[in-house]
Amino acid sequence: MTRAAPCNTSSQELLEYWLDEQPDETREQHLEEHLFACASCTERLQAIVGLGAAIRRVFAAGALNVVLPESFINRVKDAGFRVREYKLEPGGAVDCTITPEDDFVVSYLRAPLRGINRLDVLIEDQTIGRLRANDVAFDPNADGLVTVTSSVFLRTLRHSQQRVRLVAVDGTNERVIADYTFNHYPS
Amino acid sequence: MISPEAFRPYAPRMSLAAIEADDDAALARRIIARAPARDAAAEQELCRRLGPRIRLYGLKHLRSEAAAADLMQDVLIMLLTKLRDGGIREPERVASFALGTARQAVIDQRRGGRRRTQILEAFPLDLTPQDEQPDEPIDAARLAGCLQALPERERSVLVMTFYDDRPADAVAAQLNLSAGNVRVIRHRGLERLRGCMETAGGTA
Repeated sequence: MTRAAPCNTSSQELLEYWLDEQPDETREQHLEEHLFACASCTERLQAIVGLGAAIRRVFAAGALNVVLPESFINRVKDAGFRVREYKLEPGGAVDCTITPEDDFVVSYLRAPLRGINRLDVLIEDQTIGRLRANDVAFDPNADGLVTVTSSVFLRTLRHSQQRVRLVAVDGTNERVIADYTFNHYPS
Repeated sequence: MISPEAFRPYAPRMSLAAIEADDDAALARRIIARAPARDAAAEQELCRRLGPRIRLYGLKHLRSEAAAADLMQDVLIMLLTKLRDGGIREPERVASFALGTARQAVIDQRRGGRRRTQILEAFPLDLTPQDEQPDEPIDAARLAGCLQALPERERSVLVMTFYDDRPADAVAAQLNLSAGNVRVIRHRGLERLRGCMETAGGTA
């Protein structure tokens, strides 16, 4: 019998256990012994797992605008979700829509990102006005940015135009990387 | 499904308050003391307590709700059988016994589920904890609003993490970040998300 972990287990540690991030098997076993003896930690872990599952459901329902890497989108497609895709070059424009069969609408915004530390996305939309997404998650070694637009939002749109601008931010300096135009039509 | 109550006579019922005040070991002692008769209230309370722990263990290692539910049922059956048969000499280690049984059952499930078939043939019982309440549902619309209100990086990292329970190093590799950086972003995002849900009156 190994020594059980004390009951000051942090939520961070519980999450690391759940995600298989424990550095070694012994530590994981200590934590499991504690979990089996501690109803309080079990409840906290259940809450973490429940929140994670809810985040998954919200994403799968198409309720989020979110920047994600292309490899992640490939996993979504592999899982069987139907993904409508638009690929734009810098300065490009596209007529776009969403159909009842689509789970996600994904835009591939081709752009040179190498050497950029912070990237912001400026949006000018005829329906919702101006938005700015600061410091998006991106891989500077990728050849562009991949955005998922909320399917829930897109389904509410009539004909609408949206301009998207990628801006590199370095301290107080900003540099426009590329512009894109989406002409949305209801299906 | 057949209720386990159909198989053995009830022992006199303790009051619910008295049962809930017992710890796991005390419940195990009650079950052992009543054998071969049953202390149904103690058994039910022990299942109510250990069931969620076994289920979580199963979810973690099998990543399947159905498999975790099966594991919970199997382990509870084996645990109660051992208690009734006098196979657990140290009742204070009943939780350790449940964990050890769960570990072995996961190994067996991965080998193809032969052991489970044998168990269910011998004990065709439904031992799902009867008092277990479903988790309090999280308001999806509220959660979507709170996720949308997060800083962009935090939203991306949380979606990438929980879409299929990916560890930090796997998320980091996709974003050209360090695993430590992803853990910090993830931690901040979860804290902010919980704060938003509590402010908004949701559950998180």
